[in-house]
Amino acid sequence: MSHTKLYTIVFGVLFVFATVQALVETVGLLESNYWLAFGIIMVLSVIKALLVAGYYQHLRWEPRSVSYLAGGGLLVALALTAAAAYSIV
Amino acid sequence: MSELPPKSSIKRWFLTTNHKDIGILYLLTALFFLIFGGLLALLFRVELLSPAADFLGESGYNQAVSTHGLLMVFWFISPFAFGFANYLVPLQIGADDLAFPRLNALSYWLYLFSGLLFGVSFFQGTTFAGGWTMYAPLNTPAYMPGEALGATSVVLALIMFVAAVTLGSVNFLTTMYRMRAEGLRMRDLPIFSISINLTVWMMLFAFAALLAALVILASDHIVGTSYFAYEIEGSTFATDANNDGASMLWAHLFWFFGHPEVYIVFFPALGIMGECFQTFTGRRLVGRKWFILSMVLVALQSFIVWMHHMFLTGINLNIKTIFMATTIGISLPFDLMVFSLIYTMIKGRVRFTTPFLFSLGALLLFILGGITGVFLGAVVLDYQFRGTYWVVAHFHYVMVAGATALFGGLYYWYPKMTGKMYDEFLGKVHFAVYFVGFNLLYFPMFIAWETPRRVFNYPVELTVWHNLSTVGAFVLGASFLIMFYNMFVSYFHGEEAGDRPWKYATSAEWAVSSPPPLENFDGVPSYASGQLEFLDEAEVAQRQSDRDGTGTGGATVADGGTGGTATDGGTAETRSAETGAAGGTGLATAETALATETGTAEPTAHDGHVSHASIWPFLISLGGFVLFLGLSGVRTGSMFYESLALVGGVVTFGSLVGMAQEPFFAPEPVIAERWPYGGVEKMKLGMWTFLASDIVLFGAFIGSYAFIRFSYGWEAWHELIPEAHVTFPGLVNTYLLLASSFTVVLAMVAAERESKWGVLASLGATFALGIGFLINKGIEWIHLFNLHGSAAFPEGWGITTNLASSTFYLTTGLHAAHVIIGLVIVAYMAVRTWGGAYMGNEKPIEYFGLYWHLVDIVWLFLFPLFYIL
Repeated sequence: MSHTKLYTIVFGVLFVFATVQALVETVGLLESNYWLAFGIIMVLSVIKALLVAGYYQHLRWEPRSVSYLAGGGLLVALALTAAAAYSIV
Repeated sequence: MSELPPKSSIKRWFLTTNHKDIGILYLLTALFFLIFGGLLALLFRVELLSPAADFLGESGYNQAVSTHGLLMVFWFISPFAFGFANYLVPLQIGADDLAFPRLNALSYWLYLFSGLLFGVSFFQGTTFAGGWTMYAPLNTPAYMPGEALGATSVVLALIMFVAAVTLGSVNFLTTMYRMRAEGLRMRDLPIFSISINLTVWMMLFAFAALLAALVILASDHIVGTSYFAYEIEGSTFATDANNDGASMLWAHLFWFFGHPEVYIVFFPALGIMGECFQTFTGRRLVGRKWFILSMVLVALQSFIVWMHHMFLTGINLNIKTIFMATTIGISLPFDLMVFSLIYTMIKGRVRFTTPFLFSLGALLLFILGGITGVFLGAVVLDYQFRGTYWVVAHFHYVMVAGATALFGGLYYWYPKMTGKMYDEFLGKVHFAVYFVGFNLLYFPMFIAWETPRRVFNYPVELTVWHNLSTVGAFVLGASFLIMFYNMFVSYFHGEEAGDRPWKYATSAEWAVSSPPPLENFDGVPSYASGQLEFLDEAEVAQRQSDRDGTGTGGATVADGGTGGTATDGGTAETRSAETGAAGGTGLATAETALATETGTAEPTAHDGHVSHASIWPFLISLGGFVLFLGLSGVRTGSMFYESLALVGGVVTFGSLVGMAQEPFFAPEPVIAERWPYGGVEKMKLGMWTFLASDIVLFGAFIGSYAFIRFSYGWEAWHELIPEAHVTFPGLVNTYLLLASSFTVVLAMVAAERESKWGVLASLGATFALGIGFLINKGIEWIHLFNLHGSAAFPEGWGITTNLASSTFYLTTGLHAAHVIIGLVIVAYMAVRTWGGAYMGNEKPIEYFGLYWHLVDIVWLFLFPLFYIL
């Protein structure tokens, strides 16, 4: 499969997922079950982010060490957020 | 590109991009800030002779204490260490310079001008007076007397400083992973370079969190957001908000940076101690491997101990207990390092030179500082000690112990940097006076520990201890007169030092002349044989062809299969394994070669001469200084400040374009050790390293939003948001940004296929989509600002309305700023494409794409968090 075709498919998936996220709100799932809707929407965002990073930023084809570098930044930010939030539970 | 004038010319020092010149500039500038911060300390020590504000006055005392802390921590210690790092790391790893010499110069000039901006703040009424930890909401304008312009300038100066640090971190990491001499594994680096490597890793992540905190604080200062607004009734800064998390948000962000910062300050000192202990005992560090592992462990642990600075805030007992455990835990690897240094002395034969005395002194002081810190790590003891002089004494015994080792480093490398030997007797006298002054200054603080910190008042019966401290402060200060005299006179009249004045010094900087030549080494350094040797061009070409032979498989067997491979077969094997692990094989080699030529993303019209001079870093920083000075006063509506901001902005932008246009040739070494980034060319690694810090910046922004919302009540938050704030504009912008990412990828593919019109069309589409994104956002913002009919928000939903509006506008505004920067680059690249660039060389578009896609990814989270949930 050519790269262009792959990039196009990824774009299509991203487009659809964004639409689904908005639809989750439109159908009223946020009102009926907020945390389920929250989960669905955030998981979709994570998948979208992984697609962009993996294919558009070609992390799939780079040495793993590059992914660890970016992942390190992410881990740092998540640790800060999670621990700070937990500290005031 | 201009030629580099000789060292005697003033002009050289404005133009130079050479790492040794910049190292010297860092050292001298940092010493200037040592004097600056030191004089401030002497002023408030005089104030503390009696327990009343009878010398500086209340505000003067607060200003002197706060600025002393900020200047010493930010503008003296770390930059002083990075003077050594600049000078020595390339020499120690066998590189000609840093990976991005102009960025290195830019780091320096941003640092200098940030310090000057700090200096200007003293003339804007009052400067920053709220403590070096800058706690908010205390330090937001609502709670500060007067216009507080000086305080705003200091916050902006820190932002500029962090920009310098981030560029420096990216530069050092790229250099150390792409330019190590052949055969030099990471673990084989001299201990000072290892300490710097770990320091810049911590800097990369920790300073990004500080940047988030500072941008938020600056925004509360300048734009009027209310992240830290607490008391809402009657405030002009916010209405209808109830921000319980306000004071804790700053503490979390600041200390998340602040604790790694302790090790950022101390690690280079530890590296210097390691070097000096080895050289002057004539023995390798005992347990060197474990010493290094301990440092790695501390670097990692440093990010999970920050809440021990918050034991007296409202955080819960569970988290206090966890952080007490991690804090006690981080002292363990330090114990190992201390014992390693002690055993190195026992196993070796000590030569009591000045650098060794300072290193040994640093060790003793650090032991005391470390142990007294463990007290503070215990929750129950901290209840008693928090906010007292115990803390002041403890952290000076740690931080200034670090500085002690750095002064040792100055003596240690002085002969290398100047070619002259300092006066050993005066050096020892300096140490003696310094050590006495230090302990006379700080030890009485342990005894008078009940003195409340940060105030000029203290119980009268403690006066004698404070008087001793003040005497100690003057003794310590005076000891530097001896040092400056020694350094100054020795520079002109000192004995010739020779290449290697220390008998047992082994790292590579001692293998070249003192001072080293502009491009460091005559040949190409290599450790492939197990010891340092210098290869000539023919040997390098041979090894390169061997490497290509292993990389491209059978194609060059005839070339690589000769006797040459057999003689250095070990190297060839290493290479093969490295490229294999990188997963790139032949491609990786080809990419590396390409990056060498085009990695600077600049016109490649050079004559093979390496560039060493550029005026643009200076001009960019000068522009930044004027811009930030202007920003410090724009909230007053003053024409003067607004004009400054405008002029500064224009100069900065013009200089950036100038730098992008300037041909500058900074090649990567042909053969080098590059684990674990063998397959990642220089520019790409630099970009990814920068993006990693950007991830932390955005992560901290989103984290701040999540924290405030969590503190407010996650679902109750909706009451702060008007009905008119709907999903649709966010969805449209998601479509636009996703499409723009796609078109950037298409531009890259078109460049690969050498289709000029394809690249132009794709970049044009990217630009149009980005502009569409901004227009859509603009319409949305204007609509929300003007919700005058709304019952809940009769004044509209503006930036200052409430917490939700503050977080929304600032976070998406920061993102929009990233989009605007991206669009400027797209426009620049489109113009260059028109001129024929990028055909068959899609790399610059790829590097830009990495940035643009990250901006896209960030939006993928902002969209649900700010529009749906």
